[in-house]
Amino acid sequence: MDENSAARLKRRLTGIVYRIGLFLAMLTICLPGLWIVLSSLRPTVEIMAKPPVWIPQDISFDAYVAMFSGIGKGGIPVIEYFRNSLIISVTSTVIAVAIGMAGGYAFARYRFRGKSSVFLGLMLTRTVPGIALSLPLFFLYVRLGIIDTHFGLILAYVALNVPFTIWLIDGFFRQVPKDLAEAAQIDGCTRWQAFWQVEFPLAGPGIASAAIFAFLTCWNEFALASQLTRSVSAKTLPVGLLDYTAEFTIDWRGMCALAVVMIIPALTLTYIVQKHLVGGLTSGAVKG
Amino acid sequence: MKGFKPSAPFLLLLPAMIVLAAVVVVPLLLSLYSSFTPFRLTKPETFFVFVGFRNYLSILSNTDFWWAFGRTVLLLTIALNLEMLLGLGLAMLVEKATRGQRILRTLMMFPMMFSPILVGFQFKFMFNDNIGLVNNALQSLGLTQDAIPWLIEGHLAFIAISIAEIWSSTAIFAILILAGLLAMPKEPIEAARVDGCTPWQTFRYVTWPFVMPFAYIAMTIRSLDVARAYDIVKIMTDGGPAGRTELLWTLVARTAYSDGRMGMANAMAYFSILLSIAFTVYFFNKLAAARTQIGAEW
Repeated sequence: MDENSAARLKRRLTGIVYRIGLFLAMLTICLPGLWIVLSSLRPTVEIMAKPPVWIPQDISFDAYVAMFSGIGKGGIPVIEYFRNSLIISVTSTVIAVAIGMAGGYAFARYRFRGKSSVFLGLMLTRTVPGIALSLPLFFLYVRLGIIDTHFGLILAYVALNVPFTIWLIDGFFRQVPKDLAEAAQIDGCTRWQAFWQVEFPLAGPGIASAAIFAFLTCWNEFALASQLTRSVSAKTLPVGLLDYTAEFTIDWRGMCALAVVMIIPALTLTYIVQKHLVGGLTSGAVKG
Repeated sequence: MKGFKPSAPFLLLLPAMIVLAAVVVVPLLLSLYSSFTPFRLTKPETFFVFVGFRNYLSILSNTDFWWAFGRTVLLLTIALNLEMLLGLGLAMLVEKATRGQRILRTLMMFPMMFSPILVGFQFKFMFNDNIGLVNNALQSLGLTQDAIPWLIEGHLAFIAISIAEIWSSTAIFAILILAGLLAMPKEPIEAARVDGCTPWQTFRYVTWPFVMPFAYIAMTIRSLDVARAYDIVKIMTDGGPAGRTELLWTLVARTAYSDGRMGMANAMAYFSILLSIAFTVYFFNKLAAARTQIGAEW
């Protein structure tokens, strides 16, 4: 009886400690973001106030209204930036994931000569940061006439993401036991069918997370986009953020508002794709 | 491999090869060539002057460069280790949650949705010595009367940058480790518990070896992401005060775009790429070793 209640108390205490820990961790993660949201809704006077105003006195959507009201009225071409970002990110994510699935499958399922050096070689292309690539790419793009176009940026982003997606998808295909596909083939599937009906669904979580990574990388990329785009016809949102900075001053409120606009689609998309991230599917599939 | 018929893996890898050759390898060869020239943006004709290793030799005696090099290694070491620990903790916290796991996972990935440039602005805003959230909070709580010059004093600026870096990238570790935890079969853990392992032993000898490859994937991804540090540092301090937070890539960008010395900048870039390659090869070997270990046990 005594032992029981002691154990119950201990369990309860660990539960409480666990909840506090979780709460603190989530607070640390979310606070900077919430601060941005809050700042976008407050007037500049309040943001700059000294001593600080902690409780917002005056909530308004003025910053958002100003942003959409067009050039000359404190606005920036945010709809165009948004459209560019969306087209470029979605297209390059789809292409990068398709290429990554082919490559990842090759690494996970086949043996061939120089496999690990090819794999390492692919990864090494990622060691080149955007800033180092931007100048030679700029020269080439000007020559080819694809500077400041969606195509140019999509091409660059696909290359940026392919090593990642191959790596991630390879790892997740390795987790799918080979026996499953072999069993499907014995049961009369072709290798192609076995891939789509057995291995692909099981590697789903990995492919989904690879897609999230790729999308967020494109959506947020700045170093290349700032060099390879110049006008509203191809500028993406991260580059548009700089429209709010002047030589010595920064319009914090406007910038926060644009930041919110940038984050909302990323948040929504991640939330939707999230449900594919349920793993543990392979467990028991072989033994059971 | 036999005859003229291309093998399946070759065909599968071909699209990746083509894209990477076009966008990465060719421009890199171009910049490798220009690292052997005194190429300046303002003097296009210098692109065709060959000077051999002169740029590389002058880098060797450039103290600014070596400071930036050391600082980059330091930042990488601090950031990677802390991110690893925090990410592991976060992933285990979230995995334990019985309810609302989906929303927790989305919240956990929240910082990843922030563009590095946005992270830079956000932390510049928060660490602002006059109107920033951090100083305001410290002053309101009565912990200090002074405005702490977060981004103006060298060491504090380095700390502020590390915090921004860690905040933005812990999520990558957390999500990959969580994916590993979720993909892990439950039987070995149950078996370990039945056999009388303590929670720590279960973690150390059962969970950890399984999760390790995922952690190394995250490590490698992050160590390659020095470019991410470029955006953050560029916005927060721009290498200042007086070059105290200058990292390799901000130095390269300054040499290339502000000074216009492209040849020199490309030579520096190749040094930095070597650093990244060293990290990648190191973690790649670790990854391969961890995978073999799992293969042996499962």
